[in-house]
Amino acid sequence: MKLSSAKVPKESKGAFPSHGGHIYNSLHSKRRSGHTILPLQPADQLEQWSSVGVDMHNNNTNNHHHPQNSHTSTSRSSDYSAGEPCATGNKWASRLLRECATAISDKDSSKIHHLLWMLNELASPYGDCDQKLASYFLQALFCKATESGQRCYKTLTSVAEKGNSFDSARKLILKFQEVSPWTTFGHVAANGAILEALDGETKLHIIDISNTLCTQWPTLLEALATRNDETPHLKLTVVVTANIVRSVMKEISQRMEKFARLMGVPFEFNVISGLNHLGELTKEALGVLEDEAIAVNCIGALRRVTVEERGAVIQMFQSLGPKVVTVVEEEADFSSTRYDFVRCFEECLRFYTLYFEMLEESFVPTSNEKLMLERECSRSIVRVLAYDNDQDSGGECERRERGSQWSDRLKEAFSPVGFSDDVVDDVKALLKRYKAGWALTQPNQDETGLYLTWKEEPVVWASAWKP
Amino acid sequence: MMKGGFEVVHATLDMIQPHHEAIWDFASVGFPTTSTVSSIPRQIVENRCINLERNELSEWVEQVTKQLIDDLPAAETGTDYSSSMQADTSMVCEDNFAPSVLGDFRPRKTVRTSFLDGSCGEELQWGNELGDQTNNVCENGGNGRALSRLDEQGLSLITLLLECSVAISVDNLGEAHRMLLELTQIASPYALSCAERVVAYFAKAMSSRVINSWLGICSPLINYKSVHCAFQAFNNVSPFIKFAHFTSNQAILEAFHRRDRVHIIDLDIMQGLQWPALFHILATRIEGPPHVRMTGMGSSMELVVETGKQLSNFAKRLGISFEFHPIATKFGEIDITIVQVRRGETLAIHWLQHSLYDATGPDWKTLRLFEQLAPRVITLVEQDLSHGGSFLDRFVGSLHYYSTMFDSLGAYLPADDPSRHRIEHCLLYSEINNILGIGGPARSGEDKFKHWRSELARNCFVQVPMSSNSMAQAQLILNMFPPAHGYSLVQGDGTLRLGWKDTSLFTASAWTSHASR
Repeated sequence: MKLSSAKVPKESKGAFPSHGGHIYNSLHSKRRSGHTILPLQPADQLEQWSSVGVDMHNNNTNNHHHPQNSHTSTSRSSDYSAGEPCATGNKWASRLLRECATAISDKDSSKIHHLLWMLNELASPYGDCDQKLASYFLQALFCKATESGQRCYKTLTSVAEKGNSFDSARKLILKFQEVSPWTTFGHVAANGAILEALDGETKLHIIDISNTLCTQWPTLLEALATRNDETPHLKLTVVVTANIVRSVMKEISQRMEKFARLMGVPFEFNVISGLNHLGELTKEALGVLEDEAIAVNCIGALRRVTVEERGAVIQMFQSLGPKVVTVVEEEADFSSTRYDFVRCFEECLRFYTLYFEMLEESFVPTSNEKLMLERECSRSIVRVLAYDNDQDSGGECERRERGSQWSDRLKEAFSPVGFSDDVVDDVKALLKRYKAGWALTQPNQDETGLYLTWKEEPVVWASAWKP
Repeated sequence: MMKGGFEVVHATLDMIQPHHEAIWDFASVGFPTTSTVSSIPRQIVENRCINLERNELSEWVEQVTKQLIDDLPAAETGTDYSSSMQADTSMVCEDNFAPSVLGDFRPRKTVRTSFLDGSCGEELQWGNELGDQTNNVCENGGNGRALSRLDEQGLSLITLLLECSVAISVDNLGEAHRMLLELTQIASPYALSCAERVVAYFAKAMSSRVINSWLGICSPLINYKSVHCAFQAFNNVSPFIKFAHFTSNQAILEAFHRRDRVHIIDLDIMQGLQWPALFHILATRIEGPPHVRMTGMGSSMELVVETGKQLSNFAKRLGISFEFHPIATKFGEIDITIVQVRRGETLAIHWLQHSLYDATGPDWKTLRLFEQLAPRVITLVEQDLSHGGSFLDRFVGSLHYYSTMFDSLGAYLPADDPSRHRIEHCLLYSEINNILGIGGPARSGEDKFKHWRSELARNCFVQVPMSSNSMAQAQLILNMFPPAHGYSLVQGDGTLRLGWKDTSLFTASAWTSHASR
């Protein structure tokens, strides 16, 4: 990419494809000293950006925040009057981000650059919600613009995996569960459905397809142990789909076995990892025996299956002959929008805005756990927005679907089971343990499952199915 | 040691000014201890921002006057300097520091050394040097770990950061970006280790720079409200700003001795926190207060006007006849006619330099305007950080500087303290981002003077040594900020320097124009 100034560092070839270099040559203006400060905007677009500025700035009397005014020595310097982005968070981030996504979709190069510049200046992963969203979405947009999404994602995940340890992962998930019902909601609902469906069975086999580090199971084990009848035998087969979790499963299995012993529950634990496709699973691979009562528990795992294979995976569940299938997923649709960048972007922004705000209100501001969760989101955001659809990296797709969409798929092979009043009560009791803002809704007649809502927005969907 | 140091200081004062004429006689200015003490605010360790936007004048005035009037002839009187006085005037100045480090650090186009193999010895060495420079013991150990006690994680992060800076300096942006992805996933700004916090912010600043490189833009977009708020928080927990204010006020006071009509130009007035203390002293002068005219310059007219109102009201309550002129243009960009020089007025120009944004515009114009205005005194407080030079120069210098700054905060505030976070994020990170950005701290690509003191000395200005009263003021301020023993106050070359441990962070000096006499 050519820059017409000697002083501004030249770009290296290689990493960044030269996007719009020709645009730079025509737009750059030279100051007297030969420095290129920034691209000039065509005059007719000034008005458009003024309006963005007006909305952004609270008390600002001067609309101009255009960079080219900043160093005009003859007029009043406008990075003074360049306005003060509102520090009180009137959602400037989502506005700028949406405009940028639209500009990318329209291939409006100069607008893209201007907006990326603004986002870059205002963003910070350590600031308030707007700043964080700006920062992480900017990263994804930048990857998209430089076509480096795949590389970026792979680097981010490998770094995260390297830094992961049993202690850090455990600490993270436990802290999250302490301050927010985001994950525990699904656990309680699923456990309730499983216990009811398998009531009276003596040999239970739960196939846990999740990355929850088995935090769901202690309460279930406890429930099994405290039943009046004879405690059934529990076989737990965990299928790990996120690479980041694989390294810690050994330690987890030791702890689970110990816990089961303490509970007095006859227990067998297996881990399956390194699968490329969930659809590859078979009864044999999972060690499913004829006399076992099977439960398939699927937490946040279906979204990791590539969209085209989801039907096959559900068929595979059916082939296992389960008595109950529990599915918990986050309520967002990155799937049907995957060929429409702007719509997908907007949905992504909507969902993660909710999530980040939830994190902000649940944790203390300087929490390292919150930071790690946010960084996890940043990887997902890059994955969804900047990583080529056609590239199949097996198991690391993050295309969420809404409960209604999953229901349509699941209905091909299963029938929905409503959650009993007892289970609903359990969930309500759970929610009471957390800060205000959380609620439970049961959907309309034609929908299935339970929704966890945050500030009245559905965020997590839990459902149960039978053959 | 203390006494000897004190004497050395006196001797230094006499010696350093070959051209020195007794411009004003410090002894005769006669500030007795008690009134000196009364000009020092009592420390109010509050973490909330003084929120001018609520426009509660009474509350604001109360806040400020409380700091002045509730003075204690505290345990510390003016004569006890033992706790933090250092006789060592040969403090390492960043000018000496940077080049020697750079010797180890010339850009290498090739290498990516892993911290696991021996070839990284150089960087590790450098890291340890840093440690020796900044600290031996972190006395408040429970709260933060100083750079010197780099744990393995901190060390490996710093190493990667250094490698990254080299990559950027040779424009290998692809490689830099990859390393930054790594750094920004690992380093946390909430860590116990100061080193890790510093790395988190430096890495983010460099990421920002990489994106701006790609975009071809170097201009900043500043959130002034956030910056000013953080500045106030910083003022509450750290002595540097008050040091700047009070030593400068002292020098200005001395320059205004027996003058009836005075004019102060504050090149970046912000909320004007500095001036109530000076007004207070002027109001209680034996000869009565002068007529005070103040020209306040700043980033937004709204803020400057508001500051002016507050100051006007305050002055009125003190019985000082006061005029305020707000200007929302950079000093280096105005015409002299805007300043309204009046005959018979004594002019003081005050400049507290920072790297938050470009407050003054082109340096050569600023200097020229100084010369034209020929003020009786220019009080200058500089960050001991070179704003000029190549990216790598600035990187090395600022890494040292801000590590020290982070250490000083970490010695006093716990890792999860929200005030500390605000200062580090909204204030220090803003500066780091600017310094490392394309086009240097001013983000304009303009050449900036590396060292204002040298420029003034070279151009029609004579240094006025900071008096022993200024030193006394500085001392008293230090005594209010625990851990006082961590801060180092040094007088030498006519300047006063305040730093943390062995590193000087701010230097206060005063200058007078040849033509003003």
